[in-house]
Amino acid sequence: MSYGFGTLTVPRLPPRADQAAATTAKTRATRRFALNARTACFGSVLLALLGLFAGGGCHVPRPANNHEHEQILYSATTSDPKTFNPVLVTDSASGDAIGNLFEGLVKLNPLTTLPEPDLAKSWEISDGGRVVIFHLRRHVRWFDGKPLTARDVIFTMRVIYDPRVPNSMRPILTIDGKPIAVSAPDDYTVRMTMPRTFAPLLYSVGFEILPEHLLAADYEAGRFNRVWGINTPPAKIVGMGPYRMTRYVPSQLVAFRRNGGYWMRGPKGEKLPRLRGQRLLIVQDQNADYLRFLSGQTDVYSPRPEEVLDLSERAAKLHITVRKIGIDTGSLFFAFNRNPRHYVHHGVTDPKLHWFTDLNFLRALAHLVDKRAIANLCFHGLAVPAVSDVSPANKVFHNPNLKDYDYDPALAAKILDAAGYRLVRPGVRVDPHGNRLEFNLTTNTGVKTRDEMCAIFQQDLANVGIKVNYRPLEFTTLVEKLDSTFDWDCVLIGFTGTVEPNNAANFLRSSGNLHIWDPDQPKPATPWEAEIDRLLDEGTAEMDPAKRAPYYWRIQQILHDQLPIIETVRQQEFQAWKDSLEDFRPTVWGLYRPEWIEFRPD
Amino acid sequence: MSTARQVSVGATGAGGTQLVQAIAREWRLASNPVRFSVACLAFFYVLAAGSPVVAPYDPTYQYRAMPDCPPMAPHLSAPSRWSDGLVYFYPMRMADPVARRFAADRSRRVYLHFFHNGHLFTTAAGAPPCFLLGSDGLGRDLLSRIVYGARVSMSVGLIGVAISFSLGIVVGAFSGYVGGLADNLIMRWSEIEMSLPSFYFLLALAAIIPAGMSTVETFLMIVAIMSFISWAGLARVIRGMAASVRTRPYVEAARALGASRWRVLSRHVIPSVLGYAVVAATLSIPGFILGESALSLLGLGIQEPAASWGNLLAQAQDVQSLARYPWILIPGAFIFLAVMSFNFLGDHLRDRLDPANLRR
Repeated sequence: MSYGFGTLTVPRLPPRADQAAATTAKTRATRRFALNARTACFGSVLLALLGLFAGGGCHVPRPANNHEHEQILYSATTSDPKTFNPVLVTDSASGDAIGNLFEGLVKLNPLTTLPEPDLAKSWEISDGGRVVIFHLRRHVRWFDGKPLTARDVIFTMRVIYDPRVPNSMRPILTIDGKPIAVSAPDDYTVRMTMPRTFAPLLYSVGFEILPEHLLAADYEAGRFNRVWGINTPPAKIVGMGPYRMTRYVPSQLVAFRRNGGYWMRGPKGEKLPRLRGQRLLIVQDQNADYLRFLSGQTDVYSPRPEEVLDLSERAAKLHITVRKIGIDTGSLFFAFNRNPRHYVHHGVTDPKLHWFTDLNFLRALAHLVDKRAIANLCFHGLAVPAVSDVSPANKVFHNPNLKDYDYDPALAAKILDAAGYRLVRPGVRVDPHGNRLEFNLTTNTGVKTRDEMCAIFQQDLANVGIKVNYRPLEFTTLVEKLDSTFDWDCVLIGFTGTVEPNNAANFLRSSGNLHIWDPDQPKPATPWEAEIDRLLDEGTAEMDPAKRAPYYWRIQQILHDQLPIIETVRQQEFQAWKDSLEDFRPTVWGLYRPEWIEFRPD
Repeated sequence: MSTARQVSVGATGAGGTQLVQAIAREWRLASNPVRFSVACLAFFYVLAAGSPVVAPYDPTYQYRAMPDCPPMAPHLSAPSRWSDGLVYFYPMRMADPVARRFAADRSRRVYLHFFHNGHLFTTAAGAPPCFLLGSDGLGRDLLSRIVYGARVSMSVGLIGVAISFSLGIVVGAFSGYVGGLADNLIMRWSEIEMSLPSFYFLLALAAIIPAGMSTVETFLMIVAIMSFISWAGLARVIRGMAASVRTRPYVEAARALGASRWRVLSRHVIPSVLGYAVVAATLSIPGFILGESALSLLGLGIQEPAASWGNLLAQAQDVQSLARYPWILIPGAFIFLAVMSFNFLGDHLRDRLDPANLRR
């Protein structure tokens, strides 16, 4: 069905009066045809509607395919990769595409959330945590047969620290503004010396290692940001991971074949990975992804809350397993802009800055977030109220002692009244200077859950007399507003979580560029932001994880008390996969031992 | 030209009894589908005009315990219970929040009150709500939203046509009648406008509407944008007709008698193209209705929490919701009926105003 504007233009000329008599018969014929055409058009609309019904019903055709026989795992993503250069990756689609091609020194064990040997087979920590020596695995070879050595590690870190190369690893590997010194006593030993004790190091050295012998020349010539773009032939992307890329068809698929020379061995000494290959389909949107999974064209799928029940009910018929894997590791919150660059113009300060830095105002708003309704309405009951910015999935660093702001519109109204925000008539509240309480709320377009969450928040604020103008924005426009123009009032936004809390430093630190409510501050604007900065320094200097936790608990407490962000809910994560997959072990932190996955032989 | 004159007399509204007679005659002459269409449109306009009364509930109120509640069946009470109320229903309760399964509570009857509290019918304050057409994902009454949505969807066409046709007729008639350089410039400009890929142009314009605008302002803005890109087609046709009318003896006579250019234009040229314009206007209203729904479907039309049939239907985009909550497709039926009715009516008007038919 196309809702074009063709019908807005005038359909056709009526016969002119003086020619009418002569052309009557012809006109009638034309008209009959026109009417028929119109009827036919309606018919097709009806058919299309019926088709939609049928499509939504239970009868999704399941074409016979032989993923099992081929031992090829099919999955889907909703956007095209932007680059194949692992250092430059910032989006998840690119990460999905090359994640299987490269490995780092250390990887995270998603079950224990502890660092585990990867390309480094072991490491020693000395000098009170200032020096870490990594022993590299021998016999790891690049796809072109050259051995991986310490030179590659040193080259990769040189690239990461190069200010001309935009990447997200640099802030994580920078300690008090200083880089980590790297040296290679021999080909298989890497020695990292830090300016001070730095506990998160082992969680920060998971970055993908690059082949020096292939990229050094381009890097020296200043072409690094252009190498391994998406137009590079897949065979030229040389890594050392379990799979190599064989084909990339834009907007269709990325194909992978097993790397026969992969170093890892299974429990019986057999070669890994067990799958012969993988295909990553690029589909239009998540609905398409879902339909592909229902029809058996893909083998794994992360269902949205509204799909969980449907899938569970049909699990036996579709030969799939649906399992709850835990609570979302990220955080979904309303943030309030307190950036003076947005509010102060020609010496005049927008009153919103006063509201958004007034603790009474923020506390009232926190009491107006109906987390139970959000969980029930937007997540079909498959979500839990979020209190802290660190997810309970992070067992070590989540602070369980915070007391939530209960949903209580009456209390919120009372707090506002007491703080001088008067209700002048029903539905209209003004601040102590008589300005009407009204602000803009935004989030990214196309996510139904977020639209609904905003609608609920908007309604609750309207009930106490605060007017909220909601308008979702395209993701790129939104990001531009958040990180360069700062032209926003309130945003509903989600951040992904990490095991190592210091990896969120970019968000927590007042000088961070993801310090969303007022980024890139030259020095902390408030005493509590200064305290967070100090706690981050102290927390990274403590090597014992048990002793580290209190620093991060305190940070969560501060954010909870000062409310630059108001937490909403955390979704319960589910994963669905075909029954014929063996050793498929999803966790909220990623797949456990993905190299072991295989299809059960028939 | 007798019938044409009567129709136009009816349109200008002179003489009460004459008007009633004209309407009665038109009704007799119309075929059943046309009568049905007119009845539909009249019904929709009554909904739009009387929304606050017709809608049983506030269209933005969220019954948060009842998302995606299925339509509830009204029951007629037995004559012995008429003192309680004529119509009752069994309240629903969400039995399972994950499945959104609702169960009717058969032990309890909630009565609908007619002409109560300023509504045509509603339930008592505090009583469970009655969702005759079900509720949406936020627990809002779909019937009330459709009734309020009629305001947007039924007026978008009228306002749009009013703007684009007054522009189109005046510009077209002027251009055709005056001719020469002015004609040339205006027509080339209209060609430029017609060659804009209108839908994408509309998308771009809708995207720059500032966030602080109220729903009514946004709505008017969208209508205005839609009409300003659609007047050109009409202007070209009218221009052609005006250019031919210009050489007619009666126009030349008027000119010879010393009538001013504006008088000739308004008394002789525009009336002669008006019959065609009425037909074209009726047939282009559906375009506006569908245009609004297309924009709303893409999230650029009328913004939540305000309702239009387009943004109500937008919720049916998702296969999941459609399969489980098929009643969210009901606004589509309203759009379908409205568009079809305007098309039938336009076709009928063309037949009635067609000089070829009038000669006989």
